[in-house]
Amino acid sequence: MQAVAMKTNAFFLGKGGVGKTTMSAAFALSLARSGKRVLVASLDPAHNLGDVLSTKLSDIPQPVEKNLDALEIDLNKWVKRYLDESREELARTYSYNLTLNLNSFFDIMKYSPGTEEYAMLWAIEHIRCNLAGDYDVVVYDTPPTALSLRFLAMPAISNLWIAELTKLREKILSKRSTITRINPASVVASSCVDKADDKIYGKLGSIKRRLADLSSLFCKESYIAVVLNPDVLSVSEAMRIKDELDRIDMPLSGICLNKRGVSTTAWTLDRSLAGSPLFEFDFLPKGLHERDDLGSIDTKNLVADFLAAER
Amino acid sequence: MMAGIMKKLRFVIDTILQVNREKACGMLEFELKELENIFSLLIIGGFVGMPSPPVPLAIELLPYMERELTIMLARSDLAQDPIGSLMGILEVD
Repeated sequence: MQAVAMKTNAFFLGKGGVGKTTMSAAFALSLARSGKRVLVASLDPAHNLGDVLSTKLSDIPQPVEKNLDALEIDLNKWVKRYLDESREELARTYSYNLTLNLNSFFDIMKYSPGTEEYAMLWAIEHIRCNLAGDYDVVVYDTPPTALSLRFLAMPAISNLWIAELTKLREKILSKRSTITRINPASVVASSCVDKADDKIYGKLGSIKRRLADLSSLFCKESYIAVVLNPDVLSVSEAMRIKDELDRIDMPLSGICLNKRGVSTTAWTLDRSLAGSPLFEFDFLPKGLHERDDLGSIDTKNLVADFLAAER
Repeated sequence: MMAGIMKKLRFVIDTILQVNREKACGMLEFELKELENIFSLLIIGGFVGMPSPPVPLAIELLPYMERELTIMLARSDLAQDPIGSLMGILEVD
């Protein structure tokens, strides 16, 4: 029988301002107080996890209280690190003139579509590979919907490209091999003909493996919850999130209705969202002022559902 | 004397074989260059508005693509006359 991957990560998605940071902090605190070792990580470039937890955070885990550490990912640092690594690799492998021409691309690369999402993926990979081993659960506070959905979909989209490029590369290598066999004196014979020696083929394989790991993290090892408020806009956005998650085969684990009772305006939860368990959290008229105020948010049912999914 | 004739004969046969090998590979090399050109275009096509993988993927592959980029630049010189280039390979006058 195939083993079911444990849910050791939780992602809170939703429209900006619905309370994702509050929900993820309250959920992480509740888990930590139940005895689990928890790391809560903010992926939102506009960090306010530190404010909610009343702790100054950085991009390395800071202790918040017993069993609970927190960090805020510095996206700019990850973009810079990633581009610097590529630039160095380029300088090592290319002849001087070509490097000089291509080098100028890197100055504008940080503004290219996809760079921020990739930086986020590699930051999550860093947490998974280097930090998660010290914790039972990692909770992610995500940026608003658009960026979150783009980075969640990135492994699936990239894998399609990787598959096609790998096929084309195999064709190229097979053709080179044929030419080398027929005419060993051909200039092609001096280029790489073997999959094991071809750096591009190797790189495609390593990117594929890294993306497959991230895809498994998102689809099999994560509890994905959407936070919404009792209003039409956040419900509409939650439906879009659900549609997008369905498209990339990512199951929606739960729906957190935050700020219940904040308004008397009529609203309904769409039927498409009814398939996932709903957890309701009352509006706190006095707001949150310190970490212990998070304890007044009753996350008992949500934590129980997560722990049930974890087994 | 006999050895000298044999050596010359050997040289002629080797040359004929090599010419035939070159001819046999001409079309395959043309196809290979086209494939390598397409590979490069797919990787860095995003820079000129063509459908391409996410830019960070291209950046990761770029350091290993010196040969492909050189071919792509050489192919772009033939872009105005691809049929002429193909006819040249096929030796059609």
